[in-house]
Amino acid sequence: MNAIEISGIKKSFQNVHALKGVDLAIRQGEFFGLLGPNGAGKTTLISAIMGLVRPDAGTIQVMGYDTRRQAFAAKKLMALCPQEINVHTYFPIQKIMEFQGGFYGFDRKTSKQRAEELLKRFGLWEKRKVGKVKLSGGMQRRLMIARSLMSDPKILILDEPTAGVDVELRHELWDFLKKINQNGRTILLTTHYIEEAEQLCGRVAIIHEGKIVACDAPQTLISQHTQKAKPIRRFVRPGTLEEVFVNLTGKRMEEAQQWEIAPRL
Amino acid sequence: MGNSTPFVTLLRQEWFRFTRLWKQTIFPPIVTTVLFILIFGFSLGDRIREIHGLSYILFIIPGLAAMGAMMNAHTNCSFALYMSRFDQSIDNMLAAPLRSIELVTAFLWGGIARGMLVGLVTLAVSLLLLKQPPYHLGWTLFFLITQTVFFGCWGIVGALRAKTWDNLATAQNFIITPLIYLGGVFYSVDLLPGIWRTISSFNPLLYMIDGTRYGVLGVHDLSLLTSAGLSAGMALLMFALCVILFQKGYRLVR
Repeated sequence: MNAIEISGIKKSFQNVHALKGVDLAIRQGEFFGLLGPNGAGKTTLISAIMGLVRPDAGTIQVMGYDTRRQAFAAKKLMALCPQEINVHTYFPIQKIMEFQGGFYGFDRKTSKQRAEELLKRFGLWEKRKVGKVKLSGGMQRRLMIARSLMSDPKILILDEPTAGVDVELRHELWDFLKKINQNGRTILLTTHYIEEAEQLCGRVAIIHEGKIVACDAPQTLISQHTQKAKPIRRFVRPGTLEEVFVNLTGKRMEEAQQWEIAPRL
Repeated sequence: MGNSTPFVTLLRQEWFRFTRLWKQTIFPPIVTTVLFILIFGFSLGDRIREIHGLSYILFIIPGLAAMGAMMNAHTNCSFALYMSRFDQSIDNMLAAPLRSIELVTAFLWGGIARGMLVGLVTLAVSLLLLKQPPYHLGWTLFFLITQTVFFGCWGIVGALRAKTWDNLATAQNFIITPLIYLGGVFYSVDLLPGIWRTISSFNPLLYMIDGTRYGVLGVHDLSLLTSAGLSAGMALLMFALCVILFQKGYRLVR
């Protein structure tokens, strides 16, 4: 049984076809990367998995549970670390963490213990009594990852988790993510850092204009897609996943980095 | 891991949301209502003749308590949900294994708790000042609860529909406040001339306020059963509407 099985997912927003029939299977215990330029459909796909976007067609199964018909069972197995810092603006972060544990069924004592462990692990314990507005950008990112781990999920979905994080912290997070993946957790990661995908992911899918255009191990993709054509842009490292990305999407990663964070109202 | 833990956590979260800011959420509405009583009751009340054999100050207390409960239930629910949409923390709750009915009940619980606190403290302070025990505590609680449920749900619907903070304020300023003021807080519907009395009878809040007055003072203008039935019926209908909107993901799921 696959951890996540996506079949024929389509989604349109008015006249924009965000997903045009996506098929994807992510195996249990896999560290899977989803790469794509801005507006390719990465966040829409992740949101569909989490039940925050309702697909127009297709099905998604999480450990065999249909995310629409058996949403409750599916949601128990997953946790999302979104791009946006979507925590209560004025709640102390310790409370945010403790409530998160409770949402997934942990009693108060266990939630308190887990919150303390994770806040300490991510260097946020000293800030436990302040709200998100008093945290730096890097601290907010760490909080998001810590919160997503509160539920001890079997499947962890990370949407650009290291965006805007300094190099040292990024490498520290990579080591942490590798470790929790080795412990058996399935990880689905979207990133615009090619190096991140190369370092962490066993397999990578490249999504472009709402379709998966390639899906395989990074080395296989490199051998398949870097021989055929010369890179269409200069300053692209040859023989890397970045060259694969450029050849398949026609965009450089820097262009793909731009995203908008706006309240959805 | 117990099955009720996620729901209980939601309730705790909504309690925490308004009690941590009690100086802004609980204290001011109580002060405002007590000021209303002092100004309209003690300073102007002597110039108004008795209504249903009661002094004017006693007559307006139940309506003012009901008004405080309604307004605060509405404000709490609409603000909590709209803020959650604004900072997108609602997405985290929607992604968690929580049912629509649990989410609605939790948001509503915040509104009911805040509204009841304001309503009951206002009543307690006022009745203590006037040395008047409540006539029927059961009916008082029944009407306060149904009012806070109805207005809390109204706040939830408003927060789902709103696209700006302005939208929320508009509903409160131009719809809810006039309906409450025209719902017999300061006067008996018996004193209105024929046509205005007929028009007032279409204001559902009239029945809620009249019922509260019966619970507190034992006097009423309208049929108690009609008031009770309408209040409970409207509260249940609004609650069902909220649950349906959440289940459909109205303005929540894209």
